[in-house]
Amino acid sequence: MSKNRPIKFRILELFLDGNEHWNYEIVSKIQEEYGMKSNFQRDSINFDIIELASGGMLKDIEQKVDDDGIYKKGFLLHKYTITDFGRVRGSDACFRYV
Amino acid sequence: MEGVFVDLKTLKKQESKRKISKGYMWAFFCAIFWGIWYLPGTVVWVLNPFDEMSSAIAKTSGDGISLVVTAVLITAFNALAVMLALMVWNGVLGKYGELVRTLKEFHPCSKWFFLASIFGGPMAILGSFIAMGFIGGSFAAVAGLLYPVVGSILAYYWYGEKISKRAAVGIAVIVLGGISIYGGGLFTELSSGNVPWIGYLGGLMAAAGWGIEGAIAGKGLDIAEPDAGLTLHFLGENIIWWIIIVPILALVGFPMYSFALQAFDPLTILILVFAGITFGFCYVTWYKSFPLIGVGRGQGIGNLYGLCAIIFLFLFFGDVPDWTIVIGGALCIAGSFVMFTEDASELETLRGE
Repeated sequence: MSKNRPIKFRILELFLDGNEHWNYEIVSKIQEEYGMKSNFQRDSINFDIIELASGGMLKDIEQKVDDDGIYKKGFLLHKYTITDFGRVRGSDACFRYV
Repeated sequence: MEGVFVDLKTLKKQESKRKISKGYMWAFFCAIFWGIWYLPGTVVWVLNPFDEMSSAIAKTSGDGISLVVTAVLITAFNALAVMLALMVWNGVLGKYGELVRTLKEFHPCSKWFFLASIFGGPMAILGSFIAMGFIGGSFAAVAGLLYPVVGSILAYYWYGEKISKRAAVGIAVIVLGGISIYGGGLFTELSSGNVPWIGYLGGLMAAAGWGIEGAIAGKGLDIAEPDAGLTLHFLGENIIWWIIIVPILALVGFPMYSFALQAFDPLTILILVFAGITFGFCYVTWYKSFPLIGVGRGQGIGNLYGLCAIIFLFLFFGDVPDWTIVIGGALCIAGSFVMFTEDASELETLRGE
């Protein structure tokens, strides 16, 4: 899959590998793939992740304070994993063409 | 080590608090925009070409048909104005790319927004305009307050979304409010022997339409950006009105196009732009509040629009609603408060796994 699918599809696809990912890892990967360089776009991608977690597709499993300014200095970083529901919705959305 | 732990806990609490208050703020803005929308929504009926249109059609087809056909043209222009407002909004946010990407995903995603547009447009918004035209702005605004009941029950049966005891109590109070809104007016009119049935049907269409729309749009919003999804909803609505319904009515013989062309009058355009901005942003803030505080709370706070509408209609037009509408509206709002004051500790994930 490439950058021509909606961003939430791509985020779910990245989590479909079954591994745990920190939000800043996903955000920077999407920023790079979609060419979204600005801080506003960075926060908007992070908000997509928050919405996916609110919707029960991702689960927030660990947090740490961003001391080094990887994402935003002093803010809380979150590590997520995909839920069963997220797997169903993600597979439905992502693997149709495969 | 303990210091770090406490810090993390405090930070997490702060972050969650910030998120929830942001959600409430969005939902509150939704109530204000939605309430203000009833001003242009009510005014537009007496402006050219819509007032001439309804009297012209009434002469040949009767009052009832004339009001519905006029409501169709008004709703079509409302959808067009909202679409323009949303295109500006998406442009400012730089989301055209995401809009196109989402549009292309018909099967897994955008079909839900097109389906939602059928219920939100020809059912809810047309119903609301019909209720405004036949009975009045205050009634239309308050009748729509019943929509969270429809939405919650549908989500319960469709995708097993849990309804807590407290939410059920809230729903019961809102239903009582609905009985007062409909029953009170009907009782008076039954005794006078003149019941504007189509107006009441319009009120029910608004409540059912917005409730069904919320449940359907929720499916698409799982995997779509709210701003993009919302714009697709209005794209669907514009197709329904301008490509299907308006041409069909024109073919049947109603003078749709001649009146539509007359809408390009400065005052009418100004009011339509006002309607587009208020309605567009009430939808933007509605969709934005859901992921932060949940559909139940979002709709609960959003329901304050009924109160806002009555206040604005009173301030601008001196509209004093019937006492049964005031009591019904108060019950609906009390029920909404019962729903959204639920324990907020579960707000991290809004859907059960």
